[in-house]
Amino acid sequence: MKEYSSLTFKDITFGQKVMEINWGLVFLIVIIACVGFISLYSAAGGSFDPWASKQIIRFILGMGVMFFIALIDIKWWFKLSYLAFIGGFILLMIVEVMGHIGMGAQRWIDLGFMKLQPSELMKIAVVMALAKFYHNTRIEDVRRLWMLIPPLALIFAPVGLVLLQPDLGTSLMIVMVGGAVMFLAGVPLWLFITAIVGVGASIPIIWQFMHEYQKQRVRTFLNPESDPLGAGYHITQSKIAIGSGGIEGKGFMQGTQSHLNFLPEKQTDFIFTLWVEEWGLTGGLFLLFIFSLVFIYGIWIAYKCRHVYSKLLALGLTINISLYVFINIGMVMGLLPVVGAPLPLVSYGGTSMLAALISFGLIISCYVHRDNKLPRL
Amino acid sequence: MTSPFIKNRIKIEGEKQEAIERAKDRIFVIGIAFILIYTALVVRAFDLTVMQADFNIQATEYISKGKEETLSHRADIVDRNGVLLATSLKTSSLYADAPEIIDPKNTASKLVKLFPELSYGSILQKLQSNRRFVWIRRNLTPKQHYKVLEIGEPGLKFVEEDRRVYPQGNLAAHFVGYGNIDGKGLAGVERSFNKYLSTSNENLRLTLDIRLQHILRREVLKVMEAFSAKAGTAIMMDVNNGEILAAVSLPDFDPHKPGDAKPEQLFNRVTLGVYELGSTFKIFSTAATLEMGKAELSTKLDTTKPLKRGRYTIKDYHPEDRPLTVPEVFIHSSNIGSALMGERVGTLTLRNFYSDLGLLTPLDFEINEIGTPIIPSPWRDINTLTASYGHGIAVSPMQLVSAVSSITNGGFVVHPNLVLDNDNVKKEKPDIRVISSETAHRMRQLLRLVVTDGTGKNADVKGYDVGGKTGTAEKPGKHGYDKKRLISSFIGVFPMENPKYAVFVMVDEPKPNKKSYGYATGGWVAAPAVANIIKSAAPLLGITPKNDENIAKSLKKYININAKEER
Repeated sequence: MKEYSSLTFKDITFGQKVMEINWGLVFLIVIIACVGFISLYSAAGGSFDPWASKQIIRFILGMGVMFFIALIDIKWWFKLSYLAFIGGFILLMIVEVMGHIGMGAQRWIDLGFMKLQPSELMKIAVVMALAKFYHNTRIEDVRRLWMLIPPLALIFAPVGLVLLQPDLGTSLMIVMVGGAVMFLAGVPLWLFITAIVGVGASIPIIWQFMHEYQKQRVRTFLNPESDPLGAGYHITQSKIAIGSGGIEGKGFMQGTQSHLNFLPEKQTDFIFTLWVEEWGLTGGLFLLFIFSLVFIYGIWIAYKCRHVYSKLLALGLTINISLYVFINIGMVMGLLPVVGAPLPLVSYGGTSMLAALISFGLIISCYVHRDNKLPRL
Repeated sequence: MTSPFIKNRIKIEGEKQEAIERAKDRIFVIGIAFILIYTALVVRAFDLTVMQADFNIQATEYISKGKEETLSHRADIVDRNGVLLATSLKTSSLYADAPEIIDPKNTASKLVKLFPELSYGSILQKLQSNRRFVWIRRNLTPKQHYKVLEIGEPGLKFVEEDRRVYPQGNLAAHFVGYGNIDGKGLAGVERSFNKYLSTSNENLRLTLDIRLQHILRREVLKVMEAFSAKAGTAIMMDVNNGEILAAVSLPDFDPHKPGDAKPEQLFNRVTLGVYELGSTFKIFSTAATLEMGKAELSTKLDTTKPLKRGRYTIKDYHPEDRPLTVPEVFIHSSNIGSALMGERVGTLTLRNFYSDLGLLTPLDFEINEIGTPIIPSPWRDINTLTASYGHGIAVSPMQLVSAVSSITNGGFVVHPNLVLDNDNVKKEKPDIRVISSETAHRMRQLLRLVVTDGTGKNADVKGYDVGGKTGTAEKPGKHGYDKKRLISSFIGVFPMENPKYAVFVMVDEPKPNKKSYGYATGGWVAAPAVANIIKSAAPLLGITPKNDENIAKSLKKYININAKEER
């Protein structure tokens, strides 16, 4: 039995690090990814091509990235935080410039083997940068008004670029995640209340500046049945497909709505629909339950971490992933407007898979290195 | 045992402690938010799958049925007289409900016997797949349906489906179009009017007349065979309202099996193909010259020697040894003469004139298969000279026919159209003039003169007062123009006294034969085909033959009748 004196930080060996990885969390991630593989196999009409096979390869590669990140000392990620932010920002600008050249809204960079959406990675970088900022800020300074300027700049600079794409859904998500990190860092409550009231008051003005297709999405969300053959088609079809699954579902590969192409985008944003149609309420609640365990894990890790950076990073990334889950599932069940958010680890898509696994890699790194020294810089 | 890196307790005091307490509160707030959102998601999932289950299950049935309903109600397409061109027949399609299949092997072998095109292996795999719905074969005949029932396998089931049938087969395939197995239109009006056809209860009536369609197809096939040609097209259009009475593009295809057709069969040469059409363009340059007053009929143009402009030389195939009048240039089809006229008109004016006739932009027409004309870019003065006799500019046959219609109907712009009673197309003669009625009259005389005394004699049909213009263009080859590969065409209009219909025939790569004395030009290849078409079609169109009233008589004084001829 060996006790370390208080305030002693200790580097640990590689073997200890591997032992310290949250294998329970890794197991949950694998289960969720398997739900994706099964659904994609079914979506292709019982075939690994074209989706499931690629998704499996991406997942395996992504797991490699996750373990690599998890085993690197959190202090390096801490040091790289602002650099990651700048890198993500440059990627966003490249997309913006390329989008102009290629005409129209381009949100990705074609790397050949995958289409990289920098906005997905940027969300992680924003959380990293905010966490680093608050780590370096003394607690008594957090409440000062002028100390709001740097974090707001960190949030709204990328939001501005994403809005230009134009991608309202992702911009809102960056604001929400950034706001949550600021909230957790201890920014006074009345500021949030003021901000929410201000946003509420400015909605009519924002409405004026929205694209017609964005207005249409909101209108359709408010009343999807008004336009069942047009923009409301997705939501209505999705609700019907989910509902027709019943409690036990129609069985693997038996989903008629999803297979008969009533449901567009069944392999990406509407994969939850296909899953519930075939596996019923039981399958849907199972997936929600697994996701909830992942979130509890994330919060628990944040609780266990000792430095502000790790706490905020783990919480921010957990909130980011859970927002995706809430928005995607809320959307396909008709609780939220169609904003085009994938279901993390389940939806077909390279960047979304990569972003989720990078996030988990960082969260695990926070846990593995929770007792390491992390001075203010 | 505690782990070697046991968690250390940090001494917390004062403000720091307060901050950490607050952070804990805030994590708690986030946790509560999570739980609330989660509850909402779970309640909603429960609501959709259990509370609204009946509604949703009915809705799936309704939607599945609804899909079939709309399919089976795809509207018919008929010709202008109501003859059926495309209709939908109910057929049954065979699928397997695999878990209910009792004897997969036996059933598979029986099915293969019935449908030899299916493979035993893949059928067996489907029957053993455990899936509730897997297609075996779509669109069975009643006899096949009966034979499948005889197998007596309860897991073999049928759905009533829809099969698109084209009673006229190839006859108007490029314009009626075709669809995929789910009934979605992929070409022709099946594609461009897909939405109308799948939602309307009214038939779609086309301007085509299937009888005329048949005549055109017969004559083009005949001329293609006689001259061993690669391809051919023909168009018949009402010059006053632009209605397409018939149009064929050969080789064509069976719309029931578009998948078996080669690309050259599917290709619509009438609207999608663009070609250099040669001397038929002299109609436009001559009209522009007369309209602008840049020459009189009696004006003589020096066509005795090749025309040199910069590094370009324009030659005539059979140069005359004397200057020619405007009517002589037109009826003997002198490139030099037309180039000189184009030069007199000037680049800007000629270009604008071509543009007014719709020759420089893609046709506005009711199918999607529309070709973009190839025009000189940049358009230099030398291009004006060559464009005057139809070189260096390529348009679709339909564009040429509508431009000629605009010249001969008295000078009003017409737009070709394919759908009868389409509210979106203005049919009545619009008031946009391209030439005056005087010039239009002169052009009618000149076109008639080509047939009575010029290169178009083979197009004459007694009593129908045919006018027209030949066109022979060399196709561009690897090294400049290829003298052996021609596009030979004739645009005819009748009756010239009061033009009603334009008939165009174009033959791609005709080979000369003995009957044509070794010629493969428009006058020898396409003009007789136009004559045959008019001969057969005029009685159907209710045009009675008249005694020879030749509107071109007054022009005879401008031509030297003893001049040598080339058709």
